[in-house]
Amino acid sequence: MRAVLTALAMLVATSAPAVANCPLDLGRGLGWAVFSSQHLLAMRPDPPQIEVGEPFALLLNVCDRRNQPAQLVAIDATMPEHAHGMNYRPRLIDLGDGRYRVEGMVFHMPGRWELALDVRSGDTTERLTHDMMVQ
Amino acid sequence: MTLRWIAAGLLIAIATVVIAAAREPAPTFDEAERRAIAAHGPWPPAPRRDLSNRGSGQPAAIAFGARLFAEPRLSADGRLACATCHRPDRDWTDGVAAGQGAVPLDRRTQPLWNLGHAAWFGWAGQGDSLWAQSIRPILDPAEMASDARRAARLVREDATLACFHRAAFGAEPPEDERVLVDIGKALAAFQETLVSPRTPFDAFRDALIAGDAAGIAAYPDDAKRGLKLFVGRGECAACHFGPRFTTGEFADVGIPFFRRSGGVDPGRFEGIAQALANPFNRLGSHSDSADGAGATRLRHVERQHRNFGEFKIPGLRQVARTGPYMHDGSKPTLESVVEHYSTVSLDCLHGNTERLVRPLGLTPGESADLVAFLRSLSVEAPLPVAPPATCP
Ligand code: HEC
Ligand code: HEC
Repeated sequence: MRAVLTALAMLVATSAPAVANCPLDLGRGLGWAVFSSQHLLAMRPDPPQIEVGEPFALLLNVCDRRNQPAQLVAIDATMPEHAHGMNYRPRLIDLGDGRYRVEGMVFHMPGRWELALDVRSGDTTERLTHDMMVQ
Repeated sequence: MTLRWIAAGLLIAIATVVIAAAREPAPTFDEAERRAIAAHGPWPPAPRRDLSNRGSGQPAAIAFGARLFAEPRLSADGRLACATCHRPDRDWTDGVAAGQGAVPLDRRTQPLWNLGHAAWFGWAGQGDSLWAQSIRPILDPAEMASDARRAARLVREDATLACFHRAAFGAEPPEDERVLVDIGKALAAFQETLVSPRTPFDAFRDALIAGDAAGIAAYPDDAKRGLKLFVGRGECAACHFGPRFTTGEFADVGIPFFRRSGGVDPGRFEGIAQALANPFNRLGSHSDSADGAGATRLRHVERQHRNFGEFKIPGLRQVARTGPYMHDGSKPTLESVVEHYSTVSLDCLHGNTERLVRPLGLTPGESADLVAFLRSLSVEAPLPVAPPATCP
């Protein structure tokens, strides 16, 4: 029933470079970091364990490559093997400084979920993806 | 002479093969299978309180609810109690394909086991709480066909019921609608206590985790093979997941959605709209949780085209005792349900994109194994204690 942290599970707080503008500080807890050449994104679920069929929130922190806060434009999750998305529409709450809270996520089926995160800084928009196994 | 020897040799060879088949080793489970099996327990689960219902888990509310559950005067004609359709001696259902209320119903009566852990209620998930779903049949013209005034008058004027009500919720509210909501909440508190018993599957699951060889051996081989199909090739556990054997969500497995009464049953597509429009939902004024606790699903649920023809994924505990099956009661036996999954035509899947439901092409042996596994999820449940006759 617990979410298997497929990506390298790490203490987000300790993994990020200590840069004042974009500290990637989500408090204590296990989370994930997703990179590209343009952006760095850290996130952790609340409650800390994602259970099949149970609502959870995601705390996110998005930075660009110069360690300035970036923008989270949209978030979605799908099960590529089953060609369906979530039954619930998450709500994005902008907490300022590249920090976000996403409410109302539910992974309603066990298996692989692909999270798609659209992030923007300046006029660069890109989609970061991250796989999660929930069982 | 030589021919005879050859024939004898062949016979011996055949006999050895037959013996070898009979001694086919008991099925074993690899690491992934063990993890999947473990996810179907432990049983029973820890009770969960519904924060939107101040009667949840409260003995006085449970006693009031038990009393109301058997009360035919909750219906307009005084003849239908909840227990008429949800029979305590029939695993809280009625054994017929379609319910019969004030008029014949389109859907089958659902059993009421293990609802304290459910999030959506009714075949379409039209209720977002057990108490909202318990008010529904009282008001539904097709079922008990009553109204708030009549229900409130019953509780006010019957001395015993009034006493139960006071014991559970304190002073009687002046508004009929609030008395009706209290009735729903007491009924919910009672139904939360209906937890299905432990089964041979649970004993096996615990033995498998503990590495208890005797406990593992006690579970029949055909049920083991059926379980392997259930968590493996059948992909049943993707929907019938977790200790209750349901994710609590909705799916389309290709059961026709034509209504007996004509037209189609839109299932979840309509259920979402009904849940959002229900004045007794968790976001309404009758919830006992000021911050809307437990309303996250209702706030975020989103109606999509694929919800058309989806129905609630039933939990499978006690399933051998709760037929006929499916939302319309169209499958009389477990054998016919397994036959459905084995031969389902992809044309029957309306908007199905899950790719989880496709004809499995099971052999007769595999079908029998799957049925044996499903049966191992059921035992005879002890009859519930009769509701208290007098108010303390
Ligand atoms: C006339 C028969 C009948 C009566 C009387 C009746 N029910 Fe039901 N019950 C049904 C049917 C049929 C369904 C499926 C409804 C649907 O999805 O449209 C159902 C569904 C339910 C569910 C949802 C279960 C689940 O798994 O989602 C609950 C809870 C419930 N009934 C409680 C009650 C209570 C409490 C009463 C008494 C106030 C009651 N019922 C009276 C036939 C009946
Ligand atoms: C895509 C999700 C999904 C999968 C996969 C699935 N089921 Fe179901 N199952 C459902 C739904 C939804 C229903 C109710 C359908 C209806 O009423 O129209 C159901 C109904 C049933 C029922 C009848 C229960 C009742 O009370 O009516 C049984 C038994 C059952 N499934 C067993 C299985 C088995 C065995 C498998 C694997 C071969 C399986 N299911 C695979 C979703 C699923």
